[in-house]
Amino acid sequence: MKTRWFWIILTLATPLIIWFCLIMGSTGFGFPDTATFSGKAILDLRISRVLCGLIVGAALSCAGVVFQAVLRNPLAEPYILGVSSGAGLGAAIAILTGLSTFSGFALPGAAFIAAALTLWLVFLLASDGQHAPSVYSLILSGVIISSIASSILMFMVSTASLEGVHSVLWWLLGNLQPASPRILQATGSVVIAGGIILWLMSRELNALTLGREMAHHLGIRSQLVITLALAMATLITAAAVGIAGLIGFVGLIVPHVMRHLVGPDHRRLIPASAIAGGLFLALCDAIARRVMAPIEIPVGVVTAICGGPFFLIILRLKRKQGWVAS
Amino acid sequence: MSFALELKNVRAGYHDKPIFEDISFTVAAGEMTAILGPNGAGKTTLLRTLTGLLPPVGGEIRLFGEKLNRLPAAVRARLVGVVPQDLDTPMAFTVREMVMIGRTAALSRWSRPTAEDFKIIERSMVYTDVIDLQERPFSELSGGERQRAVIAMALAQQPKMLLMDEPTSHLDMNHGLEVMQIVERLNREQGLTVLMVSHDLNLAAAFCRRVLLIENGRLLADGPPATVLTEPILQQAYQCEVRVQNNPVSGSVVVTPVPRAWHDTTGAGRRIHVIAGGGAGEPILRALYLAGYTVTCGVLNQRDTDSDVATALGIECALEKPFSPISTAAMESGRALVQRAAMLVVSSVPFGPGNVINLELAEQAQAKGCPVFIRDDIESRDYTPDRQARSRTATLLTHGAQPWHDITDLMEKVRQCP
Repeated sequence: MKTRWFWIILTLATPLIIWFCLIMGSTGFGFPDTATFSGKAILDLRISRVLCGLIVGAALSCAGVVFQAVLRNPLAEPYILGVSSGAGLGAAIAILTGLSTFSGFALPGAAFIAAALTLWLVFLLASDGQHAPSVYSLILSGVIISSIASSILMFMVSTASLEGVHSVLWWLLGNLQPASPRILQATGSVVIAGGIILWLMSRELNALTLGREMAHHLGIRSQLVITLALAMATLITAAAVGIAGLIGFVGLIVPHVMRHLVGPDHRRLIPASAIAGGLFLALCDAIARRVMAPIEIPVGVVTAICGGPFFLIILRLKRKQGWVAS
Repeated sequence: MSFALELKNVRAGYHDKPIFEDISFTVAAGEMTAILGPNGAGKTTLLRTLTGLLPPVGGEIRLFGEKLNRLPAAVRARLVGVVPQDLDTPMAFTVREMVMIGRTAALSRWSRPTAEDFKIIERSMVYTDVIDLQERPFSELSGGERQRAVIAMALAQQPKMLLMDEPTSHLDMNHGLEVMQIVERLNREQGLTVLMVSHDLNLAAAFCRRVLLIENGRLLADGPPATVLTEPILQQAYQCEVRVQNNPVSGSVVVTPVPRAWHDTTGAGRRIHVIAGGGAGEPILRALYLAGYTVTCGVLNQRDTDSDVATALGIECALEKPFSPISTAAMESGRALVQRAAMLVVSSVPFGPGNVINLELAEQAQAKGCPVFIRDDIESRDYTPDRQARSRTATLLTHGAQPWHDITDLMEKVRQCP
């Protein structure tokens, strides 16, 4: 098995990377002194932050895998159906109306609900009433809803106070420090449940890459599976966006790289992407808070700048071709 | 007899525009049948309806006795495997992985494929001869290999019936034949029912014992290839003149479309008689026919190359039995043709004692005043003991017959003739 080495390396790398992320602090290397109260608090913060990175990275990568398979499009990513713009609008409303100050759940909750609402609108707009929507009409209505949400967001930002604009912008850039452990728990549950459901649909996803009609011939209820898979993928994306804001690149590139490393079979691809995507994002976040300390740079910047070249090299190696260029 | 497929008064099509108003037929289990028809006749619509992709507007479709619209998807996949015209995936699946995808409906969501599943895909790959390609990426295969892999994938479903949508249309003749032979063997040895939609009349005729010809959303003919693929039926279906012959190797029906003469219609139906034989007349007959002349030919021996060509072109011939000298009776029918001809061409046919009598026809034509054209190299083709072909040709030439050198020259001279 060619992929055995990949799994061995991944198993060994996981604790190593998590340990590395935990010792990376904005003030220096090393574990904080857990004997002191502040040291204990700092460690708690770091642990929840690393966990958040793992969960969000896993969610975005899994969603990316599913979107690319179902839409049969190499450019597909978790935000393709307008989830990002919808969540951004929801978050902006929560921030600018002052709703977010009431409860820690308000901001991620608003973002999540807005994202879910966006997905529902997209499906509604794409379907013609009789049949389930086609992939193309889904993408098209995703683009439309997304532009509308962005315009409203821009309008709100342009009329908001300077303070509000700063908060909204900062949220949009993405931040992996969860507001509370309970939010992390809720997000984690949604992502893990969604991920497992998607993984159980692996065989159907494999068949769907042959096209909707061929999947039908192979005995799959294509419409149902497509709708369920897209809904699940969007749900975990919405959960991730709700807690961490908009983090790009992970959901697009990690699936491609994993396809090169473990092949296109989703039974392997989904877990591999989840683990690797989580580790990648946690690592990027550790770098983001250390490299210009005490200033923290947005993690989305690191994912693209550090991840880009690294992944390009892997894609170039073509050890196992993942996506057939045509 | 148990039926694999029953269609009862099926109305099918898209939205408010039914392609089929009312179509009924049955396919017995174990049959190998082709659905033929011109572009736009509804072949693809019919296949999409049979696979359940397109729910019928009315009527009833039964698969092995079960109503198609009541069948759960997974059960349907174990009854019918579908081989599309061309399958593509953006993912780099290996052939083995692709064939395993064929087991999707049979596999449990909660467990790995069992040893039995591996045995099934192994067998499918052996049957379609892709076992040596199993580790190759599917997308890197050639067209023929790819189609065999797709058949292996369909076989991995362990279906009782195979529906194929123009499975050979992207393949060259060798690979098309290979694919059909695999399918034919599956049909013969495993009793797999095969129903294929095809454009290729000849391939369908060679492999299928029954063909359904559809045209404009209705069943035009149904039966063995020899009774369905006839000139009048095909001309009606395809709006095109065709010739039906038998394949000299397999004996199956071969359909050839006849090109219409678009450019040169100078012939305008003028009658022209050609003296030919041994293949000498072939290009002349064809050129004159395509230019729109009403061509007659003779006297020829049956089974002579020229007589085969003449038959294929639908040219009226005066015929003699094979390898026999030309008899008085055959000469009579030849004279009758020449009598009605406006011109006469003597091709580069070699003359011997058996056929030199044909020159009498040229003399007859000249006597009644119609132009005669004679190939100019009679010296090299005269095998009569007394050199009479040469002397008779000389006489014809002195009496006004025109010599011609090659086919362009001949066509030009014929065209200028009043």
